[in-house]
Amino acid sequence: MTRPARTGPHAPAASGATGPATPESPTTPTTPVSPATPVSPATPVGAGGPFDGPGHRGAAPAVRLSGVGRHYGTVRAVDGLDLEIARGSTVALLGRNGAGKSTALNVLLGLLPPTAGEVALFGVPPRRAVREGRVGAMLQDGRPIPRVTVRELVRFVAASYPAPLPVAETLALAGLDALADRRVDRLSGGQAQRVRFALALAGNPELVVLDEPTTALDVAARWAFWEAMRRYTGRGNTVLFSTHYLPEADENADRIVVIDGGRVVADGSGAEVKRSVGGHLVAFDLAGASGADLARLPGVTAVRVHGGRARLRSVDSDATVLALAERGAVRGLEVVPASLDDAFLALTAAPATARGAAEDGATEDGAAGDGAAGDGAAGRDAAGRGAVGAVAR
Amino acid sequence: MIAYLRLEVRRTLRDVGFVIFGVGMPVAMYLLFSNLVLDGGGQRPETTVSLMVGMAAYGALGSALSVGTGLAEDRSLGWLRQLRLTPLAPSRVVAARALTGSVIVLPAIVAVLLAGRLVNHVALAPWQWGALLGLLWLGSAPFTLLGLGNGYRLSTQTTGVVNLVCNLGLSVVGGLWVPTDSFPGWLRALSGWAPTHRFAELGWSVADGHAPHLATALALAGWLALFAGYALHSYRVCTRTA
Repeated sequence: MTRPARTGPHAPAASGATGPATPESPTTPTTPVSPATPVSPATPVGAGGPFDGPGHRGAAPAVRLSGVGRHYGTVRAVDGLDLEIARGSTVALLGRNGAGKSTALNVLLGLLPPTAGEVALFGVPPRRAVREGRVGAMLQDGRPIPRVTVRELVRFVAASYPAPLPVAETLALAGLDALADRRVDRLSGGQAQRVRFALALAGNPELVVLDEPTTALDVAARWAFWEAMRRYTGRGNTVLFSTHYLPEADENADRIVVIDGGRVVADGSGAEVKRSVGGHLVAFDLAGASGADLARLPGVTAVRVHGGRARLRSVDSDATVLALAERGAVRGLEVVPASLDDAFLALTAAPATARGAAEDGATEDGAAGDGAAGDGAAGRDAAGRGAVGAVAR
Repeated sequence: MIAYLRLEVRRTLRDVGFVIFGVGMPVAMYLLFSNLVLDGGGQRPETTVSLMVGMAAYGALGSALSVGTGLAEDRSLGWLRQLRLTPLAPSRVVAARALTGSVIVLPAIVAVLLAGRLVNHVALAPWQWGALLGLLWLGSAPFTLLGLGNGYRLSTQTTGVVNLVCNLGLSVVGGLWVPTDSFPGWLRALSGWAPTHRFAELGWSVADGHAPHLATALALAGWLALFAGYALHSYRVCTRTA
């Protein structure tokens, strides 16, 4: 389950804990998110924070996508994607199935040419970065090839890089020591997945890209995979992985980039992403009062009324609670931090055509029509309350 | 590139199917045809030699085409995409695959020639054995490219079927199994154009004690260019849609 408001262990100090509106958060041109991104209160947070750390100034970022688009006929799989990743960070690309994650990664790696925009890895075109051995990747659709052992395959891939890891070290990192002489086509799904991970690491590349690395793994295999991953990120390399599984993003990345409809809808640490959609949920009993104008209360980004109880998503719960207190609408008042799941659903639940979670935020009554998301969130609120709920009185 | 070549050759030789059908079949067919079907004929030594060359060519053809089948399989497994994410240049990947073909045709050629020498006591001068081996080896290049062209373009199943049809069709039409003398006129005319016929001619000339005709070499070079173009085109189509 999602741990609330947890900041990743590697969260850079620069990513201010105070959110987007902080005076000292500079709105420098390094902002990774296009100004056109229509997510007003949910504006991508941590501008200038998670990357561009002082130690890396002057060096080209590991990844820079500017206005990247990739269309398949009339389908816009990736649509005006802006993303910059600093060297040494671990970034999760989070999105639903079909959000454009895989296409974005394929474009980033130079496997697909973008139909718009520019891609640079370490300041050079992706193919050149790949040829220089600065990139390793684990693709989603890779399956083991027959009649070759784990060690042979790892050794072969390692040898194609200029400065690879020793084969034994790669095998140890990926937890494959005991399987080194097995044929890759005779491994279990989880073991084969670790082999593909090993192939991504074998050359000791500066940037490792993993497309949904834990899809189809059971819990134990997932756990083993992230263990291996943490052994690797400890070495200071840049890692970009995609997932649709929230706790993974929260627990394993310094920074989460939420993508939907082919563009970035939120960007920041797990805590910042949560805050960007409304850091808290404020709930109270309406006791017969009308819930009509609640959306106009300070800080409120979304309103849902269900069973005589109003649930407000708020970016400034103090102001919201004060305003409610003035109205005397505090019966059964509760304030709980929004979970990452809530944030994710709020950011991505709207159909891609009505993109922009924050827009639907103002009218979540309407958005709640798409039901499952809102109800699910409410259910979790109830569940989470006992554990983490701060009850304001 | 050498590392990739080594990896691919190793993978191919571990394929039981390849060893049985690619190497065992031509040898078995050679021994069967030469000892049962042709037995009793007065011109046995000559026919045995020409059949030996034909079957060695057939074995080389099958092995060369199998490179494409393996390629299609790797492509469907996502391995070719994975390779594009290593520093290995794409042109080297293709070159190594083609070289793989040139290595793995050798077992079939050598096995059939050995069967001819040891079992059927085919008597040729040492230079003839050497030239036979060398020419059949070099002459198999167009078929490797044909296989690669299929492998880059078609799905795994289709590649398997198409390569099999190419293998059997070209073997029969080229007169690798049955001498073209017994063909009806139209088929014999067609056979003259078949790349496999030209391929086997290289060996038949040597077995007759003279160098291959220039026309044979030129015809094969033409086929080589044609299949190379096909392979290149398929490769481009494949990488564009990857």
